[in-house]
Parts: sequence; structure tokens; C-alpha cells
Amino acid sequence: MIGRMPTLDPFVIAGPVLIVVADIIVYVAVGKLGSKSSGKGGKYQPFTGGEEQIPARGTYQSELFVFAALFMVVEAFALIVAGSFASPTNLYPLLFLAGGGGVIVAVTWWLMLVGGMRY
Amino acid sequence: MIATEVAEILLFPGLTFFVWVAFLFDWLDRKTSARMQQRVGPLLAGPSGVLQPVADFFKLTSKEEIVPEFADRFIFFLGPALFFSAPAMGIIFIPILGTTAIVSNQYDLLFVLFIIAFSALMAAFLGYAAAGRWSTIAMGRLIAQYTGYEIPMIIALITPAILAHSLSITGIVQAQQSIWYIVLAPLSFIVFIVSALAELEKPPFDIPSAKTEIVGGWMTEFSGRPLAYIKLTKNLGYAFLSALAVSLFLGGPLGPILFTDPMLQAALYFVYFVVKLLFVGFLIFVIRTALARIKIDQAVRFFWMVITPLSLIQLAFIMVVWWK
Repeated sequence: MIGRMPTLDPFVIAGPVLIVVADIIVYVAVGKLGSKSSGKGGKYQPFTGGEEQIPARGTYQSELFVFAALFMVVEAFALIVAGSFASPTNLYPLLFLAGGGGVIVAVTWWLMLVGGMRY
Repeated sequence: MIATEVAEILLFPGLTFFVWVAFLFDWLDRKTSARMQQRVGPLLAGPSGVLQPVADFFKLTSKEEIVPEFADRFIFFLGPALFFSAPAMGIIFIPILGTTAIVSNQYDLLFVLFIIAFSALMAAFLGYAAAGRWSTIAMGRLIAQYTGYEIPMIIALITPAILAHSLSITGIVQAQQSIWYIVLAPLSFIVFIVSALAELEKPPFDIPSAKTEIVGGWMTEFSGRPLAYIKLTKNLGYAFLSALAVSLFLGGPLGPILFTDPMLQAALYFVYFVVKLLFVGFLIFVIRTALARIKIDQAVRFFWMVITPLSLIQLAFIMVVWWK
């Protein structure tokens, strides 16, 4: 027999959205307190700590940035799988462990392959 | 009804309340570390300097925001607001004035786990967007540390969920009426606190923002309002993770005495919750002051070799002994 879906409190979605909207409104409003500036050279150069000038932006590990986004997606999927464990069996927690562990292993492996683990 | 719920989310016991708790945690943190180091700590703004974090916040917001030449302008400006929204969204799922949170769902713990991941990766994005030497080094360290503490933290958080047979924070709190889960799963509590120190970049895991090594870490290039928001977010995360520990391991707002009057009972729930929150916060303040920073390879190794096995041992024990 298929059970009925429990009713969803609309604030489960509206609550976080409300917080993000309020946060951005306050953030923009607070931004009126101070001045903003951007440009080239002088004080707009990244801080070097008295050492040589930093290399151009293109040399940074952009793969890491893409990977972080992928990681979020895969982790969300793993968490959704974990969410099924309300069933009376310990299969799903084990699936969660395997899924979560697998994701991290894959992430770490890829990071090393692309050289993103340099620090 | 809707107005009440909106007020609870935005004002009390939601966002505004927790922002003040974040300021209080900042002050307590500075005061505790000062006392342990034979210093005085914040003193001038407000009684015993309690308003110093608020003064610091407004001082920073009124300063000039400088965008570095190579920075990604969109993320640089909007990122701090999104970074702030991560712990801010999580707090509405924490029961404070009763055994039910402002907002609850049968899977809200999963959402909270996602928020924790989002927060760490948002910090990495901000470090990358700043495009500075120090912030890029810090971002690499942050991601490396993240791959170490994420799994044990998730396992530690999922252990009370398995004990309660619920992935809802409200459900987990309600399941602790007879016994707190810190008694049944003490290792998970320890693992969570250690992982929380890494998530919050507190010593000994303040490697991504190590001041004496890489200037200000991934925050080096930020100034003015973005920096004020980033600092506030870190303190909000402090309060949020402490509140999460209270809910999942210390019975949330549950306590020994019950009143029949609902208003009095709500007040008592609030008192219980705040006392436990301060206890967990104080635990973190003391640990982070007492320990010195370790190196990134030591931190990652520590999480993989010690903390992850500990979390798995506790989980296995729970599944063998307590699973019904």
C-alpha cells in the first residue's frame, strides 16, 4: 500500500528564501555606510606582504573552483540517498556511508590529478 | 499566523536573535582567551566591553571597500552576503522555545548538512574570487582541510539521527526526552566538536586563516562591509554549530523541570537552551585558546587517521547495540 505524502510546511522553503532576501537587502543597505573603490595599480594590487608581485590570475587552479561546484551537486545527491533511511533497515545508512566516502575519495583523487592540492 | 511565523524567522528566536548571540559569542571568545592569557580583553564599549564586537562591525562597515585589480567583482561583492546566509538559514531548524523548531521537515538535518558544506565552499569561492597570493594559498588549505573533516562531521551528525530514527532535528530533540544522546554516543559528540573547530577555522585548525603565516588567509583582500560580514558570519557559524550540538546531543531545550503554563514553559525551555549553548560555546573557547595551530598535512592526517575511524566506531557501535 502506498502511503500518502506528508504535507509540506510552506515555510520549509519560504523560510530560507525569506532569510536570503532579508540578508541581501540588509547587506545592500549597510553598503551605503562606506565608500567603494576599484581600479588598477597602487592600492588595488593584491597584498604581497612585501614580496615580489603576484603572478597573473590565469595561473591559479580554476579546476578546483569547478570541482567545488560538482562536489556540492554530488554531495547533495548522496544526502538525498541518505534521506531514505527512514525505512526500518540499516541498508540506507550504509549506502550513505559508502556514497559519502566514495564522493570524498573521488574528490581528493581528482584534486591531486589536477594539481589543486598544492598549498 | 503568517506574520507570526515571519517574525519568528526574522526576529525571535530566528535571525536577529542569533546575530546578537553571534556578537555575544565573539565577546565571550575574546574575553575567555584574554583571561587564559593573563590579558584584560575588550573593556571599553559597553559594560565589560560586551558591545565591542558590535562597535567593530559598524566600524568596518563604514570603511572603504577596495576591490583588488584581478578580483572577480560579482563574487567579491555578493559572496559575503551569500556566505552569511548559510548559517542564517540553518538556525530556523533549531528548536529553542519548545521541542518544535520554527520550521521543521522530516529531512531538515540533510538540509543543515548541505548548509555546512555550502558554507565551507563559499569560503573557498571567496578566497578564489579575491585573486590574491595569500587568499589562493588559503583556499587550497581550506579545501584540503574540508576533505578531512567533512566526512567525520557528517557521520557524527547522522549518528543521533539513526538513534532517533529521524532525519528531522525536531524529531531528534523529541526523541531525547528520556536520555540525551551525548550519553549514548559520546564519541560522536567529541568528533562533532573537533570537526566544528575545523569548520570554524579555530585553533588548532585555523590553518586557512593562519595570521602569522599567510597574512589574513582567504580574507586578506577583503575590507569594509564584506570583511565585516565575513567576520560576523564566522561568529554566526560559531553560534549555529553550538546550537546544533545542543540539539543533537544535549537534548536541545529539554530540561528536568516542567511547568503547566505554556508561557512559563517556553521561557524555561529558552533558559535551558541558552545555558547549554553557552556551555558548548565555552568548551570551544577554551579548546581553541589552549591549543596551538598544527600544519595542514597534520590536520588532514589527523582527521583521516583518528577522527574518521572514531566516528565510524561510534556509528558501528550504535548500529549493533542500539539499532532497533
